[in-house]
Amino acid sequence: MATTSPPGVGLAKGLAVTIKHLFRYPSTQMYPKQRPDLPPRTRGVIALMDENCTVCMLCARECPDWCIYIDSHKETVPPAKEGGRARTRNVLDRFAIDFSLCMYCGICVEVCPFDALWWSPEFEYAEFQIDDLLHEKERLREWMDTVPPPPMLEEGAVPPAEAADAIAKKEKELEAEAAKQAEVTAPPAEAAAAPAEAKPRTADVKVEGAGEIDQETYDRLIAEGKSERIARSKAKSAWVRKQKEKLAAEQEAATAEERGGDEAAAAKPKAAEVHVEAGEIDQETYDQLIAEGKSERMARAKAKAAYVRKQRAKLAADAEAGAEDGGSEAGGGAPEASTPAEPADADEPKPKPADVHVEGAGEIDQETYDQLIAEGKSERIARSKAKAAWVRKQKQKLIDEGGDA
Amino acid sequence: MTGHDVVFLLVALLTGGAALLTVTSKNLFHAALFLAVTLAGIAGTFLVMRADFLALVQLIVYVGSVAVLFLFGLMLTRAPIGREALDGQNRGLALVVSGTLFVVLSTLIISTFGGERAAEVAGPSIADIGISIFADWVLPFELLSMLLLAALIGAILLARREDGESGEPMPERRIELSDEPVTHAGAQELPAGDSKPELTAGGDR
Amino acid sequence: MMDLVFSTAITFVGQATSITTFDSYALSVVVKIAFALGLFFVVPLIGGYLEHKVMGRMQARRGPVEAGPFGTLQLVADGIKFIQKEDVIPRAADKWVFAAAPGVALVPGMLIFLVLPIGPGVFALDLELGLFYALAISSVSVLGIMMGGWASANKFALLGGLRAGGQLIAYELPLILAAIAVAVQAGTLSLVGIVEAQATFTLPGTTINVWYLFPQFLGFAIFFLAAMAELSRPPFDMPIADSELVFGYMTEYTGIKFAMYLLTEYGGMIVMSALMVVLYLGGWQLLPGVPLPGCEGTGGLFDCDPMGTLLGVVITIGKIMALVFLMVWARVAYPRLREDQLQRFAWLALIPLALLNLALVGVAKVVF
Repeated sequence: MATTSPPGVGLAKGLAVTIKHLFRYPSTQMYPKQRPDLPPRTRGVIALMDENCTVCMLCARECPDWCIYIDSHKETVPPAKEGGRARTRNVLDRFAIDFSLCMYCGICVEVCPFDALWWSPEFEYAEFQIDDLLHEKERLREWMDTVPPPPMLEEGAVPPAEAADAIAKKEKELEAEAAKQAEVTAPPAEAAAAPAEAKPRTADVKVEGAGEIDQETYDRLIAEGKSERIARSKAKSAWVRKQKEKLAAEQEAATAEERGGDEAAAAKPKAAEVHVEAGEIDQETYDQLIAEGKSERMARAKAKAAYVRKQRAKLAADAEAGAEDGGSEAGGGAPEASTPAEPADADEPKPKPADVHVEGAGEIDQETYDQLIAEGKSERIARSKAKAAWVRKQKQKLIDEGGDA
Repeated sequence: MTGHDVVFLLVALLTGGAALLTVTSKNLFHAALFLAVTLAGIAGTFLVMRADFLALVQLIVYVGSVAVLFLFGLMLTRAPIGREALDGQNRGLALVVSGTLFVVLSTLIISTFGGERAAEVAGPSIADIGISIFADWVLPFELLSMLLLAALIGAILLARREDGESGEPMPERRIELSDEPVTHAGAQELPAGDSKPELTAGGDR
Repeated sequence: MMDLVFSTAITFVGQATSITTFDSYALSVVVKIAFALGLFFVVPLIGGYLEHKVMGRMQARRGPVEAGPFGTLQLVADGIKFIQKEDVIPRAADKWVFAAAPGVALVPGMLIFLVLPIGPGVFALDLELGLFYALAISSVSVLGIMMGGWASANKFALLGGLRAGGQLIAYELPLILAAIAVAVQAGTLSLVGIVEAQATFTLPGTTINVWYLFPQFLGFAIFFLAAMAELSRPPFDMPIADSELVFGYMTEYTGIKFAMYLLTEYGGMIVMSALMVVLYLGGWQLLPGVPLPGCEGTGGLFDCDPMGTLLGVVITIGKIMALVFLMVWARVAYPRLREDQLQRFAWLALIPLALLNLALVGVAKVVF
């Protein structure tokens, strides 16, 4: 039995509790006059980022109320390269959520593998006609503007594994760079013996510019919605940076030529070491896609990918050229040796580039992966893209080798 | 015919009409309601005749309590909900009895108070009534109280069901006002042979 | 004709003069009725607003805020809404009884306002039998509730009506017994007379003036609890018991009829509070032993100038609202009793205590 208190004490307690509440400030939110203070994960309405949607139908199938309607058709995309394989892809025609049926369970948002569905805290979309609660793709896209950024992690929280990896990698890179810098600042003895041939520091290169700006950077920043002033100043610094890099490269090349083949080969930047900076886009691809009427977001994403691809191809070509210069018989294998990717069998030449078959047991291109994670992509997307990048790289390598053979 | 007579007549007509409807109504509940109107009409007649204390007593005792008890009893027992009719088959007998009673009573009343005018009778003040009851008539008053008390106790005795009388034991698991509710789990924790066996949850009984 | 009606009407002998009495009899009648009706329709609105707000704040809400300044006109708006609503009568219902029931419940509540004194001279009638009148009339209301419960042709309503009948019979006894004790102590049944008696009541052997609350605190507690039960207010709201009986005898009622039942409840709250103010809290007396400014008569409570009259009215209304607040407080703090607890509480606790109180008061009245 519970302990019994003297009679009447409970009655007095009840009165005390209520009278205390009488003098407390009411917790009412004066809603129509005053916006409610909703947490960022409030389940108000479901927003759709239709560029991310691949019409996988997972959301429609998982929906307990069957209130998601998806229509699509297949389109054939011409091969990206000459001689490539034409691909088909799903194009979203209709995506509609019937909010008169929706019970806001959030399963569709959870299940979406490509982050196409998001919760938004907006809730004021009542209608006089129940039919109007069927939100079509355009309306769902508009809700996307109201999706708040994800809440910050709590103080001291363990970061997600992929983000932690990316951060560690970045830190290591920065350390390596700092070490290199230190090495350059205090040159070794042999370098001191031949100071004229020493690799010039980037900082030592004096670039004089009378307000020239890097047009590409400028355009990009403007396109990103940055103010004209910021874009101009950044473009200026970008121009200076580029000029310096160019000068330094020229000087280095001159030095390397004097030194000879093996050293020159070593001095060539390796593909794996090249860090393709996130945010750089391939302006040509971008312009073309915009001209095709693609959305700004999609064009940007593709242009980025194109930039990365181009850079990589260029680097690979450079490396190969360097190897040939050095007379190395190992072919393309040498520059790739340091990559985490599994080296392909270089001795067997492949007759037709289109038939190149690369088998990988889940290997991923770490660089692409890190980059995507750093861009804030989900771990799943980054992994799948990195896998694709690895396969692409291997194929490219094999094709190149085959061409050499 | 004075205005007083008019008022009296109106109240009397209301009372008489309601009384008639009470006995002719086919719906038991309606009959009880008309009875309440009749009793209230009688209170009105008292009021017209300046017996205000009596009128209020009539109101509180008959309308406020007796009629309510009637309704209560009807609702508890056999009154049909809504518009269903319920009627007895004793109309002829009832007519004879009530007609006889009416003739006898009116003859008595007319022969006794025939020549007096009710309007001129001023009711006594409540203080006079009180003094008269508790001074002159205190013995009959006390005797009546004793009678009522005896009736009360008798009614309770009749209504009370003794243990085992109707073949069932008296419900022992009555929960007192101050008792705290006992959950099943709590009841199981009680040791066997506890001093409060009536608190164990049902099933073992 | 008129003088005879008048002679009938003055059967209730007036004692003190009221501000609503004029030389012209017809004018007096009109003013008295208008006064009682005005009280009936205004003061319950104030009480209802108080209930809304206090309940809201006690439950961490704001209560009404939109209708009128600070939501003061909320109940007026509710009334207008009720009038606009469709008047639904169930097909199986007994039409006439169903329609008459809210009126039978409401009219007695209105009639009581005739005798409630809310200030020096501010009352319609001062009956010699005022207290008895108020209690007798209020006992008729239960008829209307039982009629509604039966005529709705609804089991919930029937159960609600039954519960109401049982509850009102059970709690009328302690209510009347507690009131009788006050009448015994005051030596009068006139409500104005009771206020006057309180103003002149001093503790035996001293000159300290106290209200009847002090010698009869037990009676006050009994009266308060019984009044809450009479009004079917939580925690004694078993006849309504929305979690068990939908809305009890009011289940089938809509629109203006429902509003009449609600008004009966709020009017009853005011009536019972006003009776408690008169019986136990010294009527329009500000503090025990303090005469109202501007008043001369007995105990400094009568023959007032306009300012004193107004002050008296404000004090009475303030006390009534304080009691309404207590009722609301109890409503918020306590859960509903069970039906058997309710009956046991009345018959086994309140009625014996009320009898004891009456006996004690009778003995004390003779001894001192």
